Amino acid sequence: MQSSLELLALWPPGWGMNLLRGLGSTVLIALGAYALGLAIGLAGAMGKIHGGRFLRGALEIYTTLIRAIPELVLILLLYYAGTDALNVLLESLGFARIDISGLAAGIYVLGFVQGAYTTEVLRAAILAVPAGQVEAARAIGMTPGQAYRRIVIPAMLPFALPGLANLWLILTKDTALLAVVGFGELAQATRFAASKTKAFFTFYMAAGALYLALSLASSVLFSALERHFRRGQPAHG
Amino acid sequence: MKRMFGLLAGAVAALALGANIAAADLKISFSAENYPPFYEKGADGKWTGWEVEIQQAICAAMKEKCEIVDVAWDGIIPALVAKKIDAIIASMSITEERMQTIAFSDKYYNTPAVLVAPKKSAFDGKPESLKGKIVGVQVSTTHANYAEKYFKGSTVKTYQNFDDHNQDLAAGRVDAVVGDSLAFQDFLKSAGGACCEVKANLEDLAIFGPGVGVGIRKEDKDLLAKVNAAIKQIRADGTYDKISKKYFNFNIYGN
Repeated sequence: MQSSLELLALWPPGWGMNLLRGLGSTVLIALGAYALGLAIGLAGAMGKIHGGRFLRGALEIYTTLIRAIPELVLILLLYYAGTDALNVLLESLGFARIDISGLAAGIYVLGFVQGAYTTEVLRAAILAVPAGQVEAARAIGMTPGQAYRRIVIPAMLPFALPGLANLWLILTKDTALLAVVGFGELAQATRFAASKTKAFFTFYMAAGALYLALSLASSVLFSALERHFRRGQPAHG
Repeated sequence: MKRMFGLLAGAVAALALGANIAAADLKISFSAENYPPFYEKGADGKWTGWEVEIQQAICAAMKEKCEIVDVAWDGIIPALVAKKIDAIIASMSITEERMQTIAFSDKYYNTPAVLVAPKKSAFDGKPESLKGKIVGVQVSTTHANYAEKYFKGSTVKTYQNFDDHNQDLAAGRVDAVVGDSLAFQDFLKSAGGACCEVKANLEDLAIFGPGVGVGIRKEDKDLLAKVNAAIKQIRADGTYDKISKKYFNFNIYGN
């Protein structure tokens, strides 16, 4: 039996580099999905607040469905059926098939799921901005777009950030679900290393430590962001 | 704030580039797990094993460039149907059930299924001897079908990976496991497998079928013909035997 240190060494026959590469993929997917989720979420929140009856209804269906179905089911559904449907659509329109890489598919799927949760977090945060501030912005001549960029978004961020931080932490761990489609992120890399060496405890502990490190680093970052966007507000507690 | 919008837009645009126009390379998948001595992935990220070399020989015989795509076992047929991969070379047995969805090449090997259990147990492979016991199998395998059909009086527990049920056998959480005789060789030689031994050969042609073939989409008739020709060629020119001798001391092709 090799010692744990040898098993976790960075160069073959150690598996450390595989785990770190897995962590890299995990972070990359999480970042991509988070950015996509924020974009969908912001558009969705604005659509839910300002949209017409049809748009609001469509968004309601999106957030309800996505939040009701387990991520694992959605990933299997979107990864296999979704990409195939996209290709069938492309072919019927006379375009060439595209091959969606595991990374891109993972980002799309998780981003699409994140979008639903982010929509609700941002909608609540936008509604928490006092209406008077928006009215004041309009009164001094800002266009609706300017009022959003200069007033609503900076003012809603303190309300949104705790929820967004939660979503990020959940997302970093949701990436492990992509192991079911064979994507080589941290959970998959760990499973490979453990099954090859039979050192299950060593590798799952190492993976746990890496996820913990990622969470701790994220928490520090989000605290700093929250401090920044809360500046000028009275401190609580 | 404008900058943040720009960043988001940039990220979304970058994602759109993640989709490439499909390349002409033939995409082949082993299952994304270690299944020694057939296929396993080392710390250097390279696949090795008997089936990996056979795959390379088949590709060489077809004069095709092959690319390996990692797909999880339980998603491997959906991935084939969804055209994420073009061929499955993952020790997949040819069965009636699977042939409803995909096509298979001629067999390229055939090994018996066995029941593995702790040495001190008195199982002989007959359903009565396993009554009330827990039998572990890998999900969506012919072994799982066999256990479902014969071990009605036992609890059949399904696992995602071959390794997982072996771990549980070593830990005593299952009383016996059903799997491929060859795949068990490495496990039984390892420290964790010292507890156990092969108790019985399991036979049922209706379930286990004629052997293991390359899984291919039903409509890819050209590819099917090419793969069959390639298997014949490597059988005839000695490549198959040369590769097999490195791994096995008996005839893995079967009768």
